[in-house]
Amino acid sequence: MHKHLLILTLLSSSLCATETESYGWDIPNTPINIGGYLDMSYDKKREDKFLFNDIAMIFSANQNRFDLLGEVELSHISLNGQSNSSSDIDLNVERLQLTYAVSDEQSLRVGRFNSDIGYWNQAPITILQDTTTTPHIVGNFFPKATTGVLFNQNINENNSFSLTFQDNNDIAHQDNIIEVNRHKALAYYGVKDDLSWRFSLGRYQESNHKKSTYMGMGSEYDGEDFSILAELFIQDTELSDEKPYSGYVQSTWHFKEEQDAVLRFESYKDNALGIEENIYLLGYVYRPTSNIALKAEYVHHTKLPLNRFVYSFSVLF
Amino acid sequence: MLKYFIVFISITGGLFSLELVVIGDKNFPENNLSKETIKAIFLDKKRFIGESKVLVMNHEHEKPLRICFEKNILEKSEKSLERYWRKAYYQGKRPPKIVSSNEMLFLYLQSVQPSIGYVDVNATLDKEFKVLYQIECE
Repeated sequence: MHKHLLILTLLSSSLCATETESYGWDIPNTPINIGGYLDMSYDKKREDKFLFNDIAMIFSANQNRFDLLGEVELSHISLNGQSNSSSDIDLNVERLQLTYAVSDEQSLRVGRFNSDIGYWNQAPITILQDTTTTPHIVGNFFPKATTGVLFNQNINENNSFSLTFQDNNDIAHQDNIIEVNRHKALAYYGVKDDLSWRFSLGRYQESNHKKSTYMGMGSEYDGEDFSILAELFIQDTELSDEKPYSGYVQSTWHFKEEQDAVLRFESYKDNALGIEENIYLLGYVYRPTSNIALKAEYVHHTKLPLNRFVYSFSVLF
Repeated sequence: MLKYFIVFISITGGLFSLELVVIGDKNFPENNLSKETIKAIFLDKKRFIGESKVLVMNHEHEKPLRICFEKNILEKSEKSLERYWRKAYYQGKRPPKIVSSNEMLFLYLQSVQPSIGYVDVNATLDKEFKVLYQIECE
């Protein structure tokens, strides 16, 4: 009953939004904004039922040169109520970061934040992406989150770089494969009109002391009618060559005002699992309003028995 | 006859064309801004003018002036801006403050420094502010 009430509240609040770029709720007479997102998906290969993958609260506060941003996520709740035991539900601090803007050109961030690596990791939630499933590189080649310090420098209006440094344990439990206690990275971002590009280089140490080095590059054309995004990562792990490469090309065609078609081709090699395969994805996205997305996609693996349809419903509120 | 026709075209053309001015408060630290800088300010990529954080104001959705601003200055479609602000919100960025009228905009310009907004060129008579950029709507 409470779940249904929650969904109704979220839907009604999302439909009441008048300005398409305004999300969340500004607490009157404070610099604080509170919002969030939810996403539900049906993926028969994972669980044969609709799952609330994520329900998250986002809070932010801007005061002079300081920006505070937090994201707390509740995940893995099933709609039939069978996953309501405390062992199934995860409560996780996805982000808790404080940024100090030295100027428009320089900023310093501390806390737990999304690693500034690649395109996908800049906004790794379903409502902000064109597909429900994520490319293989996400969660396999670099730590999704870093608990440490990030320094960002804008070289000029079109070019910037960032330095990431972590030398401590994660402040939250990781919801992804790579758990690190050390992470150093250098990332570069360039943009010219609708075209942008990124390069990343980093090294991390996992909790079991395994050390890995990764390098990635990517480019995106984000036009009015269509966008193309491509990323390639390579990784070198001490004493082994577990993940030699992983890359994808994804194109999204905005063929109607509210509808997109998505095509993705992926290829990767994983020596630890003894797999080298391609993944093809064909997807459809319907966004009736700026903050709601309904997605359907078919994923075809050339080796692993993971061919399937995946459906999702997501809301940013 | 041709002369009258040209005069008629110029007058009607003048009546229907919209000219937009980007304006700052009267003590705004810059005397003019480039289109790129204005774009960065309105997309929350540039927050400071001098040492101070700037108040940025936008008009309501679907107002002709805003459509002109988005097309000619931001050079983005409504859908493209929608996509931009969805991701920007997640990253902690905030869109400009929405003002419901020119009077409200002028009130903020008088009371908050530095502040920036845009109006139709005809709305600027007898007001104290700095014109930072001027463009004719296509």
